[in-house]
Amino acid sequence: MHRVLTTCCFCACGCNLYLEVKNGKVVGVIPSRQHPIARGNLCLKGWNGFEFVHHKDRLKYPLIRKNGRLVEATWNEALELVAQRLSQIKERHGGQSLGVLSSGKCSNEENYLLMKFARAVLKTNNVDHCARLCHSPTVVGLGNAFGSGAMTNSISELARAKVILVTGSNTTEQHPQIARFIFDALARGSKLIVVDPRRIRLSKFAHIYLQPRLGTDVIWLNGMMKIILDEGLLDDAFIKMRTENFRAFSEHLRKFDLEQVEAVSGIAVEDLRRAARMYASVKRAMIIYSMGITQHICGTDNVQSIANMAMLTGHVEQECTGVGPLRGQNNVQGACDMGALPGTLPGYQSIADEGIRRKFEKTWKTDLPLAPGLTEIGMFHGTGDKKVRGMFIMGENPAMSHPDLRATRRALAALEFLAVSDIFLTETAQFADVVLPAASFAEKDGTFTSTERRIQRVRKAISPIGKSNPDWQIICELSARMNYPMHYESPAEIMEEIALLTPIYGGIYYDRLEHGWGLFWPCPNRDHPGTPFLHKGSFVRGKGRFDCISYRPPEETPDDQYPFYLTTGRIYAHWHTGSMSRRVTALSRERPEAFVEINPRDAKRLGVANRDTVRVTSRRGEITLKARLTDDVPEKTVFISFHFAEAPANILTHDRCDPGVGIPEFKVCAVRLEGVK
Amino acid sequence: MPDDVILNKEHLKSFLRKIAKERELIAPVKNRHGDTLFEVVSSVDDVTFDLETRPVVSPKSFFLPPTETLFHYQRKEGKYLFKEVLPKLSRVFFGLRSCDLWAILFLDVVFQEDFKDLYYLNRRQDTILINVGCREPMKNCFCKSAKSGPFLTQGYDLQFTDLGDRFFVEIGRPRGRELVEKWDYFFRPATNKDRDEQYEIVLEAESKFERIVDFDTAISRFMNNEVDDALWEELGDRCQGCGGCAYVCPTCYCFDMVDRPISDSEGERVRIHDACTLAGFTRLAGGHNPRHERSRRVRRRFYHKLPFAQERYHRPSCVGCGRCVEICFGRVDMIHFIRMVCERPEKSSQASLRLGEILLDAGLLSAEGLKIALEKQAGTGKPLGTQLVEDGLITTEEIVSALGLQLGMPGTPETGGVIGR
Ligand code: SF4
Ligand code: SF4
Repeated sequence: MHRVLTTCCFCACGCNLYLEVKNGKVVGVIPSRQHPIARGNLCLKGWNGFEFVHHKDRLKYPLIRKNGRLVEATWNEALELVAQRLSQIKERHGGQSLGVLSSGKCSNEENYLLMKFARAVLKTNNVDHCARLCHSPTVVGLGNAFGSGAMTNSISELARAKVILVTGSNTTEQHPQIARFIFDALARGSKLIVVDPRRIRLSKFAHIYLQPRLGTDVIWLNGMMKIILDEGLLDDAFIKMRTENFRAFSEHLRKFDLEQVEAVSGIAVEDLRRAARMYASVKRAMIIYSMGITQHICGTDNVQSIANMAMLTGHVEQECTGVGPLRGQNNVQGACDMGALPGTLPGYQSIADEGIRRKFEKTWKTDLPLAPGLTEIGMFHGTGDKKVRGMFIMGENPAMSHPDLRATRRALAALEFLAVSDIFLTETAQFADVVLPAASFAEKDGTFTSTERRIQRVRKAISPIGKSNPDWQIICELSARMNYPMHYESPAEIMEEIALLTPIYGGIYYDRLEHGWGLFWPCPNRDHPGTPFLHKGSFVRGKGRFDCISYRPPEETPDDQYPFYLTTGRIYAHWHTGSMSRRVTALSRERPEAFVEINPRDAKRLGVANRDTVRVTSRRGEITLKARLTDDVPEKTVFISFHFAEAPANILTHDRCDPGVGIPEFKVCAVRLEGVK
Repeated sequence: MPDDVILNKEHLKSFLRKIAKERELIAPVKNRHGDTLFEVVSSVDDVTFDLETRPVVSPKSFFLPPTETLFHYQRKEGKYLFKEVLPKLSRVFFGLRSCDLWAILFLDVVFQEDFKDLYYLNRRQDTILINVGCREPMKNCFCKSAKSGPFLTQGYDLQFTDLGDRFFVEIGRPRGRELVEKWDYFFRPATNKDRDEQYEIVLEAESKFERIVDFDTAISRFMNNEVDDALWEELGDRCQGCGGCAYVCPTCYCFDMVDRPISDSEGERVRIHDACTLAGFTRLAGGHNPRHERSRRVRRRFYHKLPFAQERYHRPSCVGCGRCVEICFGRVDMIHFIRMVCERPEKSSQASLRLGEILLDAGLLSAEGLKIALEKQAGTGKPLGTQLVEDGLITTEEIVSALGLQLGMPGTPETGGVIGR
């Protein structure tokens, strides 16, 4: 038996744990006690999640589609075929007819390589990953306001914040370790404000709980800021010295009518006033937010409103004071950092910047494509010369995770060629022409970057299952077959290249990650200790920028035909599209089947009892699943999680996006409910 | 050979080296990342024994691993073939803490009282247990209150006491004596001076506990059904269902059994660790769960640890190691629980009145409604909260929301684990 320290592969809290290995199999985990986030415990997923590693459904050899069926093939056959078909499409229709999806589940090194493969080999900027579906508004919104779209502070600082405002984050379920720090803060006498349409568990501990209607965040945020302005609770000195565009912004706020707040969001002004005073009157306050803020057609507006509020009260640029967007996937922060995005190269360096492009061209010894890239959603909706004909998808499952699944699946089926590398035959892989078996986190080396920008090691504990291979090796092999050999002996060597080209990762070397618990970017050089909180002294972009934001209602709201709001999200026991968590005994036992949360009063009107089967229909499609009655959802609103393939929530959602960043509005659409006898 | 001997510290590694030749040596070792874990020691020279820190997980996992294959099965020509996987191990634990050793003795009872669990016993039977008494209890240790430390009076094979330059070694069960006799040249008989010194150390250690926990009061209040419902509700809300408390607990022994196919024709039956705070633990086929609310599961957990164990084994099954205290996400641990039970006013008419007042204040209940419920309650003897909910005068959620603000978190400023950097 031996034990290998590594980083959890589920959420972006980034717990470190020991995998216990016996006879080449992972048989248990032990949390690290010294690790500053794990602190000796894990959530249910961390404790039990490793089980999927040895599940019998793991892909053990490459598959090629022959006569409509996926059949076993050798690595050489499979890779040759992928290389040949991608090259063909590229020659006939150009690089922009190809698309690549990278993954928040894979390592930094793998994301970097796939991004490089897309740009240097396929000559396309059509490279994106699931951050599009979760925090693209953060990357852009906080980027606009502060100059950097990540958590401004580290997680443990939460324990010492005086006021914590949590909105659009079901923290106890989705970021359990972060909730643990919130509990620590409460025990020290800090105040908690929770603003969420659902009565999440954390609301029971809130000193103030506000329940806005879905999709009305700009309203209550503007209202709260107007109160702060009117009551003179703002931080004048901070605004003057550190920000710009305040005059226009304050004019904008002055015109805002507080009467609107209650009418639109349902929050009483007096309650909002209490919250405003509580938040604005202390020195150290943090805002924690997540998908509830970003997954709207106005996601960027929501994020920028949050940034406005933090600047208005001077709640940035200090320890224990700032804005914390909680990233979901274990390495979605890293995938963004690595430039697996259509518009940026690693470290958020713009591809449009001539000098930056040169730097990469010189190192990579090839030309980079100029045509702007498509987003993840865009790749499935293009027509004419925007049409994507061939795709390479690594560790993503759009056939479950994208909105309006019928349309998404049609688009997948219509591709001329699709290659997927994954650890299981996911819903997406079933559409593929070639499926490449990838190694899981337990079978490879690399790094993940957690939500607090902490770069940590992932260490190989066992050999790859069957004939599977780590994604970084798959990409190298493929690239070599497309006349662009990539020779890396290990992920450490890839990181050396990343450090060379990416200023914020400039000091990240594997030997430095061996001791201590990772490094926080920005870490520009070898001697730099890393940066737990950002914007110290001044914002990354120079001065923080206020923007005037006005409310836009959600794309689709209930009407006579579809009288309910539907909001979607995740639950504690499962992980995203369920390909891993549903194969873990303890997790699938915890929540074995799909369900829709309905308010008991609505259920009564519908004649539906707990655990009855219900049909939920939207303009896009319908699913049937079990009813779960709970007061946690308000009347006229239902909640469905998107983990269950037999009743995929995303059949119902629509694909209209925030125009600036392309995030779909997963959090609001309209549905109809009926009991099924 | 007398019942107590002295081992000079410079001979410790030599002694352990000898033992390690004959059986698997398991000891608390601080690894290069700074974590202390029980490790199988293959060479005594390469490791840093850490006798000061409580290992992250208890020694339980060496007897009841988190995943354990019981047998392989194979289907061949319509028939099933089974192959049992029975472990057989000779082991010695060195450097157990007293609480952890005591916990193993507790598991010994559980795994052979009704049914002899061969998987457990085969690992356990040929295992020698050596503890090192704790001179310095850690911050959250409360073994003294749990009567399982910091030093033991029985149950060990050998018990070590650190006397500075030497160990005072008490010989307990016969296998301990065998070890000392076999390598007697490392030991010398203890003198009265050694004994006096050891006695002082034990007394001093006992005076050092920061945590005094009143098990007796908690158990009796629990047994007399005097624990307020609101307390369970609050604990239920604070539990995040991680399972950690059961996984790290040295005496929690529940497991789940599953068949795991390896291919279409073969597979394994495994047992995996389980935790009573999980919904799946009690959910029945068909989906009904008698303990649907987390508060009910938390209640069940403490019931099992305290009154149930008290009745059945004449002591709580908690040994006071303090692990749950350090790791719980929401302070639903033994220390906080017992403190809450002991400090909160008893469930009584007075408590009912207080609850009534709170609800009136919060505008959730009319004075008329309260009067009716109080009258009824006098007859049924139910807690006021239950009565109100049953009469449809209020929902549980409303009570909790009203109480949430009033009760807040219990007043213990220290956090569980290490505050991160
Ligand atoms: S909190 Fe997140 S990182 Fe930690 S164990 Fe759970 S899923 Fe893993
Ligand atoms: S450790 Fe705490 S949070 Fe986790 S299951 Fe136990 S009581 Fe619940």
